Amino acid sequence: MQLALQILVNGLLLGGLYALLAVGLTLIFGVLRVVNFAHAEFMMLGMFGVYWVWHLTGLDPYLAVLVVTPLVLLFGIVCDRLIIQRTIGAPEVTVVFATLGLSIFLQNAALTLWTADIRSVTTAYSGMVLTPFGLRVSVPMLISFTVAMLAAAGLWLVLTRTLYGKAIQAVAQNREAAALMGIDVRRIYLWTFSVAVAAAGAMGGLIAPLFTVYPRVGISYIVTVFVIVVLGGLGSVPGAVLAALLIGLIEAAAGFLFGAAWAELSYFLIFLAVLIARPQGFFGRRGAEVFAGR
Amino acid sequence: MGNEPANELRVSLLVGLPLAAALVAVPTFVSDVFWLGLGITVLMWAALATAWNISGGLAGGLSLGHAAYFGVGAYTATLLFLRFGISPYFGLLAGAVLAGALGAAIGAITLRLRGPFFVLATLAFGIVVHIAAVNWRDLTRGAAGLLLPFGGGARNMLFAGVAPYWYLGLGLLALTLGVTLAIRRSPLGYYLVALREDEDAARALGVKVVRCKVAASAISAALTACAGAFYATYIQYIDPSSTTQFEISVQIALIAIVGGIGTTFGPALGALVVVPLGEILRASLGGGPALMLYGLMLIVIVLAAPNGVIGLLQRLLSMMRSGARRRATTRRSRGHA
Repeated sequence: MQLALQILVNGLLLGGLYALLAVGLTLIFGVLRVVNFAHAEFMMLGMFGVYWVWHLTGLDPYLAVLVVTPLVLLFGIVCDRLIIQRTIGAPEVTVVFATLGLSIFLQNAALTLWTADIRSVTTAYSGMVLTPFGLRVSVPMLISFTVAMLAAAGLWLVLTRTLYGKAIQAVAQNREAAALMGIDVRRIYLWTFSVAVAAAGAMGGLIAPLFTVYPRVGISYIVTVFVIVVLGGLGSVPGAVLAALLIGLIEAAAGFLFGAAWAELSYFLIFLAVLIARPQGFFGRRGAEVFAGR
Repeated sequence: MGNEPANELRVSLLVGLPLAAALVAVPTFVSDVFWLGLGITVLMWAALATAWNISGGLAGGLSLGHAAYFGVGAYTATLLFLRFGISPYFGLLAGAVLAGALGAAIGAITLRLRGPFFVLATLAFGIVVHIAAVNWRDLTRGAAGLLLPFGGGARNMLFAGVAPYWYLGLGLLALTLGVTLAIRRSPLGYYLVALREDEDAARALGVKVVRCKVAASAISAALTACAGAFYATYIQYIDPSSTTQFEISVQIALIAIVGGIGTTFGPALGALVVVPLGEILRASLGGGPALMLYGLMLIVIVLAAPNGVIGLLQRLLSMMRSGARRRATTRRSRGHA
């Protein structure tokens, strides 16, 4: 019982971190109809950003996140202007491989600038553990989880409660109709993309005190996050959050029961099964998988 | 148009036969192992990109999981030889059959998926196979890899020299190009083009969607596995990171795109551009910066020239033609005046 609870807690904490990454990816897809293969590279930039700010100035990593996230946002604007805007309405091969190219570029830019060394951020509270009801909960993990969930909730509030958010939803539903209603679609694209990758950067900053930092770190996250957003329904924000928690749980449970390799294998098999049986995911609009390529 | 299948066959015979003769003669003139090795690598990637193009270009399903078939080919041939002493010539066929069956299954289950959903499904499939290759240690020895014995002899496709692999590679490329040409001239080729352009319209006109997509996926997978078996006997050592890794899938697709997807000779041309360029960049700049340029090249190509090198050549050719025509008409009009 105690063990099951511990796995539940570990899984939920992990899933909460995935959620912030997944929300951005699913937003970009829902609004721009672009699958952003470079999404986890923005997370990697956030991780390195926090590492360097902490390493050079000694600033607390969680405060460093506040410095780094706006920088990633700016970089997102540049990427949107130079690459993403040009892929809108282009053939599918352009949409898929432009962001894949960006991913390869960013990974190797990091490799060139900062070498393949594995780095980590350590703080006074790195090893601190809370023990409520005999469960072990890592303090930095809990902080990161809480901030990530608050950020995801904030994004959701902006999306549903503000005029700007409603404009974003309108573009996601029908880009031509939204343009006819006087919405500047290109502006919506710009802000959706930059805010989503800034969220990825923030997530990277939040996990910098938890996991090691290296140029290819994105690879181990991006595919997991794809699984999450498809499971939740590409384009659905609440779906992404729920699926992230679910995948976190599956990873923790299967990892404990069968080992890490089986954990990975299990959710890819679930992923394939979902793609085949219910490609719109659990919260996605029906038919999205058919029209998405258009 | 330059990509009419009948026209293409004529061009390929006119240009291809002398070119093929020249290619066959290469090992008698080039004895340097580095250059011949580079040539063999180009041939292998050309064959891989051409095989990918059958499902990715002709059928229009952008696969990011082809490393799985490459790995199945490499591991099947290697394991059959190591465990049962079966010659890799037969192992190659067995791998092709196995990968073909896998390709047919993947083709069938991804049938309804379009756009990014198809890409993600093939990506997940590739990763499942990679995880299996890394973790099924009893079979694959995991990351430690499998070593083929040196000097297994011509009977076992394991030659001591490099030159025989040049001929094998040439044969492999000829096979993939031949199959592509055959498909483009067959009803299947026309059905695939119709499906790629407008699936609903093609279905309404009676094109057997299921059969066509499954066939294209199976053929593409089987040919990719042949290249895998070739790689295993040429390098004589395989491990997951050199066969089933995601990066291999990306590289196969990238070469086809740089060359020009959907055309017969584009993907092979892409290998001729990308592989030596990659070697030069790596040698002069080191791995990181070389791959940075790689990524940049991919972005620029898909944004500026989504039809690849072949598309650029065609545009250049038609510009030259229209230029010549314009010159001819001005000359004629001057003559009249």
